[in-house]
Amino acid sequence: MQRRHRRVHAAIWTSLAVALPLLLAIIFASAPKRPADAPAIRLDDQSAEGGKA
Amino acid sequence: MSASYKPVIWNRTKIIYDGVLLAGIVIYILIFLNLGPMLSPALRDVDPPIQRMRAFGSLALLMLTIVLAIGPLARIDTRFMPLLYNRRHFGVLTAIIAATHAQYVLGWYFSFSPTPQLTALFTSNTSFTSIAGFPFELFGAFALAVLVVLAVTSHDFWLSFLTPPLWKAIHMSVYFAYAAVILHVALGALLDRRDLVLGFLSFGGLALLCVLHLVAGRRESASDNAASATTPDKPWIVVGDVSEIAEGRAIIGAAPGGERIAVFRVKGGLSAVSNVCSHQNGPLGEGKVVLGFITCPWHGYQYRLEDGCSPPPFRERIRKYRVRLQGSAVLVDPEPLPLGTRLDPVAIPAELRASTAGNLGKA
Repeated sequence: MQRRHRRVHAAIWTSLAVALPLLLAIIFASAPKRPADAPAIRLDDQSAEGGKA
Repeated sequence: MSASYKPVIWNRTKIIYDGVLLAGIVIYILIFLNLGPMLSPALRDVDPPIQRMRAFGSLALLMLTIVLAIGPLARIDTRFMPLLYNRRHFGVLTAIIAATHAQYVLGWYFSFSPTPQLTALFTSNTSFTSIAGFPFELFGAFALAVLVVLAVTSHDFWLSFLTPPLWKAIHMSVYFAYAAVILHVALGALLDRRDLVLGFLSFGGLALLCVLHLVAGRRESASDNAASATTPDKPWIVVGDVSEIAEGRAIIGAAPGGERIAVFRVKGGLSAVSNVCSHQNGPLGEGKVVLGFITCPWHGYQYRLEDGCSPPPFRERIRKYRVRLQGSAVLVDPEPLPLGTRLDPVAIPAELRASTAGNLGKA
């Protein structure tokens, strides 16, 4: 029983170690970029909207 | 271990453990709320309720990371074993901290919603086709739901009612809850503001946990594969040499199927039992004999040497194995005996006892 538990455990952590960094890379790569010619003063700055939790 | 169900069976160790835990939580929140705005402009420019939700949210992530690190740390270095003892209280407190974070979120963002707060939470962001805009709230809600279920079912009543294999399987969902928390933080707070500390806590924690779990798993797997040598006199396997066993301690062998067997040495006798504690699969062979009972290093469950049964009124049982000596080699029959079978310890001959007693000090 210990052995089966260990195998499942190893499979889960191997999957997480591969999948999570990939997903994080995709998330940050797909984040909208501010255009180079965007105005310096913006209404969507953190100080303007209060930010998310 | 208990014969009847009580909410918590308090003892000095648990009180100290929980006291340290609660003190740590209070100190973290106080530091976050009082020093945080001084150190970080991002915290200075937001309202106190947002500061509070960030304090509890980041604390929940930190606590979950620590909870998940305790298991592999204890496997890699036995000095971390005491942290395992009351890990369930750690987990329950983590769920409470995460629920407090959620409560602040609902109270701040959805207080004046015309629809019920939970309905508003699940319908306010429907960008399911966007990657960066995906509703991160769903990951947080999923993780919180899992943590609450695990906290509610953490009591030994549920362990006994569901049976250890099913209970263990359910409680492994905490890993998926952790993955959901990482996605929740990345899609929410980290995309919204590039917070260095939170980023380090998320990505550093993820890297640390992956390394710890994979290293611990690799070591365990190597032990599984290194099955004990068989003897010509099948099915007996050689677990080790009697000189390797300290008084009151055990050596661990692996049956050809991979199940581990612990051979204890007590008062000149050898007894072989399953290495798996019937409570939570703890490694019995890494424990020791206390007051004549094999004692699990994880939660202190105890078993008699002669029949593998817990002393009355407790009802836990582990399997026993036949053991014999060939010279100083300890041989075990890997076929387990039926639960409750009485088998007296095998006496170590006086000359072997004398020659091996000095090799290892008392545990």
